[in-house]
Amino acid sequence: MPLPEELELRFVERLLQRDEQAFNALVRTYEGRIFGLMLRMIGSRAEAEDLAQEVFVQVFKAIGSFRGESKLSTWIYRIAINLCKNRSKYLRVRHAGDEEQLDSMDERVDPTHPHRPTVADIARPDDMVEGREVERIVRRAIFELEPSFRECLVLRDIEDLSYDEIGAITGLPEGTVKSRIHRARGQLKEIVERDLGEKLS
Amino acid sequence: MTEPRGLDDEDRDGQIVRELLKRSLSAPSLHETPNLLPGVQRRIRRLSRGKFFADGWSTAQTRTSYVIVGLLTIVIVLLAYCALGALGSIGAR
Repeated sequence: MPLPEELELRFVERLLQRDEQAFNALVRTYEGRIFGLMLRMIGSRAEAEDLAQEVFVQVFKAIGSFRGESKLSTWIYRIAINLCKNRSKYLRVRHAGDEEQLDSMDERVDPTHPHRPTVADIARPDDMVEGREVERIVRRAIFELEPSFRECLVLRDIEDLSYDEIGAITGLPEGTVKSRIHRARGQLKEIVERDLGEKLS
Repeated sequence: MTEPRGLDDEDRDGQIVRELLKRSLSAPSLHETPNLLPGVQRRIRRLSRGKFFADGWSTAQTRTSYVIVGLLTIVIVLLAYCALGALGSIGAR
């Protein structure tokens, strides 16, 4: 939840003075959202934890360059997304993390139901969406998207940010953000339907 | 030739994917956030060479540790007091 403008200004002033208590409060306020974002973007809990810590270190180092042109939360998200992009590139180059990503995101898969449910197995479409296997397919599918599409999709559909905020975070024009989100949803739907072997309805 | 999809179809697809994503990526197990603060403080302490978050003890330990150390200190002081008292009485004889 972003702070009201006046409160945020006072908070930023304390951060600029390197007030350790204010910084602790900042970490406590944003750690859940930043860790969640990292986990959804990277997929591995260990990598997400490491990256989320690094985000706050960067915030501490760079707070002097925060000009207040955007909300503090937007600025923090921007740092997070940039770090995420760099780490994703690094992981892709190393060809590491793919299996770990999927393992970490698949913690909730029920081993007693190894088969994929089909629409016929489930009485109502709502039940299908709630199925753990479908969730697993979606979590896997999101990592098949282009990272630039994934970041826009996660920021919009999971983090519930406005197009304007996503534009400020990614540095993209609003039209490009909308287009990427639209294409990402289309790609994701195709991947899920392919893996599920059924049309989503 | 397939007919171009209408905007309504696209909106419906978008809605389906959005719902699916929300349900899949908002799972409770994905929300268990680790305690990041000690790690962040440790990194800043190391980077700033101890200028910030210099009190490594208080930032790295839990409150329980203070209680345990406090109790241990009291026990040690009491033991030392008793031992010295006993030695003193032997010496007096």
